[in-house]
Amino acid sequence: MTAKIPSRRAILDRIRIATQPTADNPVLLAGAYAILPRTYIRTGHLSAEARIALMIERLREFDAEVVETSPESLPAAIAAQLVASGKHTFVAPPGLPPEWLAPGLDWKIDKGLPTSEIERAEGVVTAAFCAVADSGTIILHHSIAEGRRVLTLLPDWHLCILRSSQIVETLPEYFDRCPQPPALVTTISGPSATADIEMTRIKGVHGPRFLHVILVRDQGGQPIVH
Amino acid sequence: MLFKLSARNIVFFRSLFNPCGLHLGPFLPKSPPLRAETRMTPRPELDPALAPPFPVAALNILRNPQLRKNVAHATDIIQAKRARLVAEKKDWQQLRSAASEIRAHVLENLGAYLEKFEDRCIAAGGIVHWAADAAEARQIILDILREEKADEVIKIKTMTSAEIQLNPFLEAAGVRTYETDLAEIILQLGNDEPSHIVVPALHVNRSQVRDIFARTMGLPNLSDDPHALADAARNYLRRKFLDIPTAISGANFLIAETGAVAIVESEGNGRMCLTLPRTLITLAGIEKVVPRFRDLEVMLQVLARSATGERMNPYNSLWTGVTAGDGPQRFHVILLDNGRSSILTRPVERQTLKCIRCAACMNACPVYRQTGGHAYGSVYPGPIGAILTPQLTQMHHAQSLPYASSLCGACYEVCPVKINIPEVLIDLRAQVTDQERRRLNRFLDPIYLGMKIANFLFSRAWLFHAAQSFGRIGLAIFTGKDGWIHALPGLGAKWTQTRDLRGLPSQTFHSWWDDRAREAK
Repeated sequence: MTAKIPSRRAILDRIRIATQPTADNPVLLAGAYAILPRTYIRTGHLSAEARIALMIERLREFDAEVVETSPESLPAAIAAQLVASGKHTFVAPPGLPPEWLAPGLDWKIDKGLPTSEIERAEGVVTAAFCAVADSGTIILHHSIAEGRRVLTLLPDWHLCILRSSQIVETLPEYFDRCPQPPALVTTISGPSATADIEMTRIKGVHGPRFLHVILVRDQGGQPIVH
Repeated sequence: MLFKLSARNIVFFRSLFNPCGLHLGPFLPKSPPLRAETRMTPRPELDPALAPPFPVAALNILRNPQLRKNVAHATDIIQAKRARLVAEKKDWQQLRSAASEIRAHVLENLGAYLEKFEDRCIAAGGIVHWAADAAEARQIILDILREEKADEVIKIKTMTSAEIQLNPFLEAAGVRTYETDLAEIILQLGNDEPSHIVVPALHVNRSQVRDIFARTMGLPNLSDDPHALADAARNYLRRKFLDIPTAISGANFLIAETGAVAIVESEGNGRMCLTLPRTLITLAGIEKVVPRFRDLEVMLQVLARSATGERMNPYNSLWTGVTAGDGPQRFHVILLDNGRSSILTRPVERQTLKCIRCAACMNACPVYRQTGGHAYGSVYPGPIGAILTPQLTQMHHAQSLPYASSLCGACYEVCPVKINIPEVLIDLRAQVTDQERRRLNRFLDPIYLGMKIANFLFSRAWLFHAAQSFGRIGLAIFTGKDGWIHALPGLGAKWTQTRDLRGLPSQTFHSWWDDRAREAK
């Protein structure tokens, strides 16, 4: 549905008069797009170990807590983080593996939870789609293991489970992993922050103030941080 | 005397002798020059149709040391952070080139990409509106709010909504607007206006923020620690996010390929507004489109480094129309022209629309760093504002802004999409001069008359020599022993108030040459 047809026509007409008429030929347009210069760095050069080490370094620069673990000891590592947080009520997306839900805590699984329930939760545990080591960015596509957008927004404490095979070095490498453009994306580079008052960086304005990451070594190799 | 020593002429001469070459041309102010103590309104005027010319507004601010200190502090910090992160980025110039070419390509093919965006956005459940000007955009938004029976709305920082003066319009129509970006809250509660497009309250320091929050939030014991201030904002807004079902946002990028919209932010207030409400209204300039999702691999890298000096800003959000069960279930996009399509018609000026609003140009600008943003009389200050604002008004207003630059080129050097701002400034100055040339009252313009007289004198050698002799005699009594003139009376004082003038040498080159020739004989 498109409202206000007259303005639409008027604006597009003005644009067409100002620009090349060939813009409407899809073949020419695709051709012009294809030859745009893209000489920037697309693939990283770091070894797997160095890439993971860089990701950890970047996350720590953001004051995020990072621990490493192996696939076998992941449930125990999650439980340890949850207990150490001192929090009791957690929300989780519906696609989270059941063994990640540490016993003895108050879990709310998001099968359409009302916002008020999510807001009351003290923390949230999710998976991730990808991570970019160059900037320490965690990327969510909001699958059933990553949760709806609201889930990683309202609770003040976010524990994100990241597999080492999900870490790429550069931002273009993340796009390589998206054969189809996703409908929803949230990228997280450290906790919510502002520098609006005298350029003083303040952690935690509206989003979660505490970001914890458990890095799961699923590509072999030993944890480099203990 | 050729013209009266009126207030208008004094303002004119002050601008003529301005260190940055900011001349007013015929845009003589309607009122006498303002002094610091007669600062009229606490709220700066950012409507280009009503704002005073740049030199007049700037003069006022130059006399406010606190504001200048705040601006210098903030721009120094962002500049340093940006410089460090750009230096570490080995492919920075290649990224800049790609970003520049992508944006230029979009503008050359804007019609096709906008239609594609519209098509995909509608297919994904969005509703697309087109607004030819600010009034139409405001009305579309109000109509949507009426349909939603909304009398309150939460907002993500959007300069485009400030451009169309949305908040006062909605307030007058009975809709309460709540800004949610920390800087925008400071401005809204403090009855102030943005002075920067990324850090809009950078001219306000922590104790001023404390005073505003203490007064308006009823927190008399609030400290001026930035953490406490941010906490106060968090508490003030938390219920608004949860309770108000309608939000208004801008857009950083529209993706033609998918119909998606991207928002770049730091605080999480954007995510709140994009996720919690039932209805989301996005206002976007028509130039914001990029061809493909993949193009974000360039745009996000250059934007974060240029805007805040970060490798990546804390949050980016991208959504496509409506997603069942996740986020707003009604989504409107308003594609705003408001003068943009007319900028496309001029090949040199077209590059103005490549802008991705990172504000690196203002942080780098020696003029902005002295005056801050309010002097520009527009929500878009700094070098980009100096070229964008007059063009958005189709050269009807803000004609002094193309002169608000020393043409040093620092803005071009830092621009992540390579907008050659000095080139556009010069072209706009030519347009302003052409406008002046068509004006009948140019015969009353002291510059015009001065140039005519100079032309007359300089084209007659005997008159020129006579003028030099008179000048030497006349200036001799003001010239100090060091050969410099430190103080002149009358109009000349406008120069010597801020700088010294080299005294005329005792002999001109011509007479020295004649003497030399005579001695040789």
